[in-house]
Amino acid sequence: MTQPPIQGAPIVVHSLVRHFGSGDNLVAAVDGVDLVVEQGEIFGFLGPNGAGKSTIVRMLTTLLKPTTGHALVAGYDIVKQADLVRRSIGVALQDSAIDPLMTGTELLELQAVLYGIPRAKMHARASTLLERVGLTAAANRRVITYSGGMRRRLDLALSLIHEPTVLFLDEPTTGLDPMSRLALWEEVRRLNREGTTVFLTTQYLEEADQLADRVAIIDHGRIVRQGVPKELKAKVGAPTLVINVSAPQQDLAKSVLARFGEMRPTDEGSLAVGLIAGATGVAEVVRALDEAQIDLHHLELNEPSLDDVFAEATGHRLEGATPTAEQTVK
Amino acid sequence: MTTSVLSAPQQHKTRDGLRQTYALSKRSTLEIFRQPALIAPSLIFPLFFAALGASSFGRTVGKVDGLKDVSSFLEFSLASTIAQGVLFGSTTGGTALATDIQNGFMDRLLASPSTRVGILIGRLAGGSVFGALQSIFFIIALYPFGVRIQGGIIAVLIMVLSGALIAMSLGGFMTAMALKTGSPEAVQGAFPLIFISLFFSSAFFPRESMSGAYKTIADYNPLSYLVEGLRVLTLQGLTTQSMAQALLIPVAIGVGSFALSLRQLSNRLAQL
Repeated sequence: MTQPPIQGAPIVVHSLVRHFGSGDNLVAAVDGVDLVVEQGEIFGFLGPNGAGKSTIVRMLTTLLKPTTGHALVAGYDIVKQADLVRRSIGVALQDSAIDPLMTGTELLELQAVLYGIPRAKMHARASTLLERVGLTAAANRRVITYSGGMRRRLDLALSLIHEPTVLFLDEPTTGLDPMSRLALWEEVRRLNREGTTVFLTTQYLEEADQLADRVAIIDHGRIVRQGVPKELKAKVGAPTLVINVSAPQQDLAKSVLARFGEMRPTDEGSLAVGLIAGATGVAEVVRALDEAQIDLHHLELNEPSLDDVFAEATGHRLEGATPTAEQTVK
Repeated sequence: MTTSVLSAPQQHKTRDGLRQTYALSKRSTLEIFRQPALIAPSLIFPLFFAALGASSFGRTVGKVDGLKDVSSFLEFSLASTIAQGVLFGSTTGGTALATDIQNGFMDRLLASPSTRVGILIGRLAGGSVFGALQSIFFIIALYPFGVRIQGGIIAVLIMVLSGALIAMSLGGFMTAMALKTGSPEAVQGAFPLIFISLFFSSAFFPRESMSGAYKTIADYNPLSYLVEGLRVLTLQGLTTQSMAQALLIPVAIGVGSFALSLRQLSNRLAQL
């Protein structure tokens, strides 16, 4: 259960690169990433599927070797001191990798042994964690009988067995129903209040917005924006006005909107403009559309979001940024 | 007072490693017994083959070379029944490891400070315990039909230990396959190859009754000598050679298969 170093930032990544394949099939999944996660932060790593989030997490958790570059986690080099990194971090990977034939208690006790926790403390630690994640009643049931939310909570408990100083959560709420998602967020906040540094990957904007002190936005293996969510959103500037009009009137509506600000990418069938005048300019836009005899089906004004930050940085929207009914399973 | 050659941190590491290996072994053992559908075929089919063989070839007893001093074909079949059952069962460890790789549980193990050798031994241990229990099961199941072990209780213990060793040694090949492919289907697909090697041995018929290429293959097949060791323990009693054949052949195969598994594991980790 050795932990010390750390000193300085718990996660320091410098020019990290990971290639897959070779020759014509060479893919740079991570293409020169630099980042620093400070002590006690919840750091959100936001990006679409395939952007490189999980590849970075796998490298930082010693499951994958970088092609080039280096990183320190908890003060240890991820390649040269992999074993010490493993002893210092907690990891909950994307698909909660839990043996369905074991019970919650059995898995926690196995995990305790893997991390060298003495037998005398093992049972108490397992009980405490089961209680903490609300699984005491299900502790002696096989995991195969657990719901998706229960599995995620058990996964989180497993990652905490050795009281890690740095916790990696790779898309912890993907596929969860809203209630389970909220419960997990609360638990992450609680852990963070207790001093755990959290590195959280997500494809959900709301999750990053709600939880993260700072975020990095990644696309095609590169970090395109990094900073405090509020500041990033402020830099995007104007709020976005989104309207829906009938298809034949789209071009005319677009020309009207363009007079009020810069057009922004949005869903198909909608038009979006960054309102230079801010919220006070809405009335004027409505008047202009009315004068142009455009039949307005729907209108909404959105304050800048991380999706706007993403769109501004990449030129496209973050697909699947909000969980859909199909993605949500109990 | 004795002093250890290991320094304190090394002792700590060794103790943790042994504890991890034991915990992983316990897990793999529990897993096997929690899947009755997985273990039932490896108990039923060998008994079915033994019954089929006894009814089909029972009349050859006392007439054919290699069966002249045998009192019943079932007694002759006990060794092959054990070998068959353990062969069936040996796929479970490899398949389970491939499933661990596929569903990410292996990543959980690799992301922890657990020993890599412990992960492999832990995986094989479940199959080994099952192999021992299978041997006991077959000895008990055939007892009411007149099958007796001439070597007595020591021979029974050797046969049980041999069952455990066979499971571990052949399980090593399945584990290597699992690490190479990461696919449970591929591991199960490789099983017939091992089973065929049992058919091309003296498991079902004595080598004395064979001829041609079939005999040549059986002569070179280490499984022939393994089964014959078990057979002598059943039919004739304890001999140094039979004990050595029953125990050392699976150990030798196991050393090779475990080395192959370790190599595949290091290849897999190097590719990461």
